Amino acid sequence: MKRKYAYFPGCSAKGTCRELDISTHAVASLFDIALEELENPGCTGAREFRAVSEQLHLTANGRILALAERIGCDLVAVCDTCLLNLTETNRRLKTDAAAREAVNRALAGERLTFRGEREVKHFLWVLTEDLGERALEERLVRPLRGLRVAPFYGCHLQRPATVYGGERSEETPALDRLCRLLGAETVPYEGADKCCGFHVLGTAEEIAVRMSGRHLTKAKDNGAQCIVTPCPLCHTVFDAYQPSIEQEFHGAFGVPVLHVSQLVGLACGLSAAEVALSRHVVGCDGILAHIGVGGP
Amino acid sequence: MSPSSRQTTEPGTVRVRLYRFDPETDREPRYDTYDVPHRPRMRIIDVLDHIHDIEAVDFAYRWFCGTKKCGTCAVNVNGSPKLACWEEAECEMTIEPLKNLPLLRDLVTSRDPFEEALATLAPMIARKESYEGFPEPLSAKDMAGGDHLRDCIQCLACQSACPVLQQPGSGFAGPALLVQLSDLAQDPRDHADRARLADEVAQVFKCVSCYECERVCPTGIPIVSEAIEPLKRLVYGKGAVGARRTRAFVEVVKARGYADAARIALKTNGVSLKALRVALRLGRRGKLGLGSVLGDRSAPAAEAIRKAYQSHEDAE
Repeated sequence: MKRKYAYFPGCSAKGTCRELDISTHAVASLFDIALEELENPGCTGAREFRAVSEQLHLTANGRILALAERIGCDLVAVCDTCLLNLTETNRRLKTDAAAREAVNRALAGERLTFRGEREVKHFLWVLTEDLGERALEERLVRPLRGLRVAPFYGCHLQRPATVYGGERSEETPALDRLCRLLGAETVPYEGADKCCGFHVLGTAEEIAVRMSGRHLTKAKDNGAQCIVTPCPLCHTVFDAYQPSIEQEFHGAFGVPVLHVSQLVGLACGLSAAEVALSRHVVGCDGILAHIGVGGP
Repeated sequence: MSPSSRQTTEPGTVRVRLYRFDPETDREPRYDTYDVPHRPRMRIIDVLDHIHDIEAVDFAYRWFCGTKKCGTCAVNVNGSPKLACWEEAECEMTIEPLKNLPLLRDLVTSRDPFEEALATLAPMIARKESYEGFPEPLSAKDMAGGDHLRDCIQCLACQSACPVLQQPGSGFAGPALLVQLSDLAQDPRDHADRARLADEVAQVFKCVSCYECERVCPTGIPIVSEAIEPLKRLVYGKGAVGARRTRAFVEVVKARGYADAARIALKTNGVSLKALRVALRLGRRGKLGLGSVLGDRSAPAAEAIRKAYQSHEDAE
């Protein structure tokens, strides 16, 4: 049975992290998953709409949820912060009639309605929960044998408990489990479930750089050959700002940072080009050589 | 958690690695190990009491009420801040003082920096009119904004868990102070310039939104959504400088229908050598196009998106 989802890539996957969008589509087609991309979805507002008004936050996210309902599928996000905004809004609008009515009034001009019929999922969960470990194992053609991977979860995949409750508190092992299933070794390090600092990158870069540099140092000290993350915002700090981290910490890291879909894609036989590995600031040649794939 | 569920030591025993350090006499901290006989429903504080009474009478720790009211007994247990009087003992515990506060001795940290910082935030209701006496004409609805914030017992667990406070010289006040400030800011009787205090003194926009504070809060306060974000909205509403990135973000999304990272960065911080270096670095890998910064790359439905988003201004 072909699985179908409404797909919201988010502004990062369409902008600075297009390799995430490319590799997500590539992996989806490997597993016969149809991702129908929302047309002109706008933005979930990162942490900014919520700092302007609750109504703006709920309207922007309610609009995206209504677009997914129009397609008639559960909604898939590939960014932790988008996931949180959408999950939180979905829950709120399902239970708060006044908020739902206010949002639907704002969407009436576009003939959109939020009805509360669908769920929001991260693409990681589509792979690990909907598809399941067995289906992944069956497609494993290039086990990442001996590759030492440091998983980095990002805050908004697991916190706050008011949104995810206890049900995602086991999330920390999930990405670890996926990496091991792909044949990689996971590197335990302090910081895997901590914050990368992305949301102050634009105004207090030094805070983000120091925070993420600490995690990177611990991962590298414990032998990580790469970091893997389900969030393009964490990716941006660790990859695009790794030269700034190196400057601040007076050392060379050279730790590649992969999106979850890229790691899955490589293990399932996709080429470096198919998962768009050339679009990283930190080169991935070392890990490609390790797993025996030609460079991008 | 029942101690038996993660038992690696002798059954019926709680093994504690206890942080010991007296800055006045010791050159560096050490960890002493104690095996404490386990009792049913044993709390962390009971373990500390046992060590103090039986094993190490000179060991310093602090508690007062023992019933989750006074907020003085928070310590780090296996890396995470916990109220010693309220959490069950685990079979293996490394117990350390709270982080991000000056150490006095062993598990006791100084609350002075917190109290001093609180004093800079005008921590009392600043009335425009004189107080008419009790009862005041207030409804539950008037006071609803800070409702959960008044559950704060000032245990400072959130300050210990905050990753921004771990950065020396960040200037950020931290969650515990923002909870106090936000409670006052949302009080209808208060007329102090809370936006200025939130922006310039507490630097609320340095919050990274990691929710670590909420994770460790023993009274379950939704600190980010009910204390920090209302303060951010206040600062944004006054057009203050701390909200400049939020302003740029909203303007760009309304104009283009999506969040264009380069355009937002340019609008937030202007042009600098540092920004150009980052732009070049990203441009080389196809992560940034010059066209998106200079040209008009609006999404086809930008107008519809703008209209929907505009409703929040009409609503308020």
